[in-house]
Amino acid sequence: MDILEWMFSLSLEFEGKGPGGILLEFLSPILEFLGPMMPGEVFPYFFTMAMFQRALVASLIVSIVAGFLGTFLLVRNLSLIGDGLAHVSFGGVAVGIVLGGFAPLWYALIFSILAAIIIDQMQTRNLLTGDASIAIFLTGTLGLGLVTLRIWGGGITTDVEGYLFGSLLLIDEQSLDLITTISIIALVSIITLYHSLLAISVDPIAARVQGIPVRSIGLYFSIITAAAVVSMVQIVGVLLVTAILVTPSATAQLLAKSFRSCIIWAQIIGISGILLGLYLSAEKNTGSGSMIALVSATIFFLVLISQIILKKFIQPTGNFN
Amino acid sequence: MEIIACQNQVLEVSNLSVIRSGTQVIHDINLSVSCGEFIGIVGPNGGGKSTLLLTILGILKPNTGTIRIFDDEPMSKNVIGKIGWVPQTASNLSSNVQITVRELIQLGTLKNKSYFQIYRKKNRELVEKIIGVVGLEEVANTRLSSLSGGQRQRAAIGKALASEAEIIVMDEPMVGVDRESRNSLLKLLDNLCHEENKTILMVSHDLSTIKQTVHRMVYLEETIRYDGSTSEFPDLSSLAKLRGITSTHNEYSSVKPKSDKDKKSNPITIVLGKGKEGV
Repeated sequence: MDILEWMFSLSLEFEGKGPGGILLEFLSPILEFLGPMMPGEVFPYFFTMAMFQRALVASLIVSIVAGFLGTFLLVRNLSLIGDGLAHVSFGGVAVGIVLGGFAPLWYALIFSILAAIIIDQMQTRNLLTGDASIAIFLTGTLGLGLVTLRIWGGGITTDVEGYLFGSLLLIDEQSLDLITTISIIALVSIITLYHSLLAISVDPIAARVQGIPVRSIGLYFSIITAAAVVSMVQIVGVLLVTAILVTPSATAQLLAKSFRSCIIWAQIIGISGILLGLYLSAEKNTGSGSMIALVSATIFFLVLISQIILKKFIQPTGNFN
Repeated sequence: MEIIACQNQVLEVSNLSVIRSGTQVIHDINLSVSCGEFIGIVGPNGGGKSTLLLTILGILKPNTGTIRIFDDEPMSKNVIGKIGWVPQTASNLSSNVQITVRELIQLGTLKNKSYFQIYRKKNRELVEKIIGVVGLEEVANTRLSSLSGGQRQRAAIGKALASEAEIIVMDEPMVGVDRESRNSLLKLLDNLCHEENKTILMVSHDLSTIKQTVHRMVYLEETIRYDGSTSEFPDLSSLAKLRGITSTHNEYSSVKPKSDKDKKSNPITIVLGKGKEGV
């Protein structure tokens, strides 16, 4: 009875709020508590002001999803699909802007999911290799977006630049709802299908023989990836999605001792990259997406160099030149 | 060699022909396999060995003929989970997969109706037992990419065993495995047949090594040209003489007849040449 009452009071409290609003409601007190401890002059606003809180929460949940997705994408040798689908989503954004849609991200979502399904089918039916089909969609839809905007949309405006390079100011309540919904669905799906996804990635023939529906799971994973990529577009922009989707997972591979630890490292590195990137972009007044991408790449190279030094001077493994 | 404990027929291939990309790869194959048998399948590259295995698994469809596994078709409800696949893991596993031996073997426990499963206690015990069976206790938490070819292959066999498959189909499991590891790997497979009544079909190029261990040899080149005991399997010099070749070089390789005329005059097509893997 107590639980029912609690649920009823919760429903009253969150009435009219989407999943993003509810999440923000939960996290807001924690962020406000942490705010005064944060360094810098501008960065603490990410913890105390509602508009910046939205941006921070969206960045963090997207980073958690990216840690899972990126690790599986690397295993499946599909690290560039994120880049391809992000460009496809730009075509959707352009069409959305021209048609005066209420949220161009919904058009991006449709474009990206359709492209993911077609690329997946082209691969599984051996019509074209993975990279080639990604390349065709990447360039074709980017071209569609640019041409559409030039002819009907008034060219590359500040809004459009925001989608290309990322703009946290674009994240309004509706966007946060969409990003949160996509992230929750993606997380639940990946955690539920964790073992099957790994099995079909390691050896699809053995997985089929075991009775795992390899094609269905592969297709579902592509759709989830497409949706997640769209949710990342507003954070880092079409051109920099790979920075949060693949770079933390690639860094994690250098440190991890198992697949599970690879996913955990990808989360730690991804979240660190987001926080450090937001801090530096806020304090140095640069674009958030580009700074996050730069920080992610810097972390990768620092880890790589330290691994090389470690292997060369501390753990020599052989006498090969 | 010990007597096989069970004699039930587990696999029956009848008049099987498979065409891939417009080319007849295997033609009119008949093969009957009993429980607990360890069969070595040899033949040149392009001779149809992998095609036969993939058709038995149900990945490829036959053009003519039938395959019955435990009296059912491949990939049918009753067959799924009873057959396990071991690929050339040692050489094929992507370096992007940072997976430990234990994690790989765990994947074998996934079943067709439980692919949403989060690891259960029963499976955990099975995985620990299998890690012991394949002799990888000391490296159970080590990444596959840090292991030797033989250890990786043992892990791949462990994954097939974790599925509790009764038939294990292996494609070139000795590739990338050193001679010492090869012998211990074959001993492990032999034990699986004798002690666990597993049936093993293994494709290999390493003729002399598998001849010492398998119970039965099949020579496949488009169709089955020899199917019988290992003791009666023609040695390389006899096979070479059949083709008028007197060389004593080491490798059993993959050259096919140049013309149909050659093919008719030399039904068995093995050519000897130099190579790394001595026989």
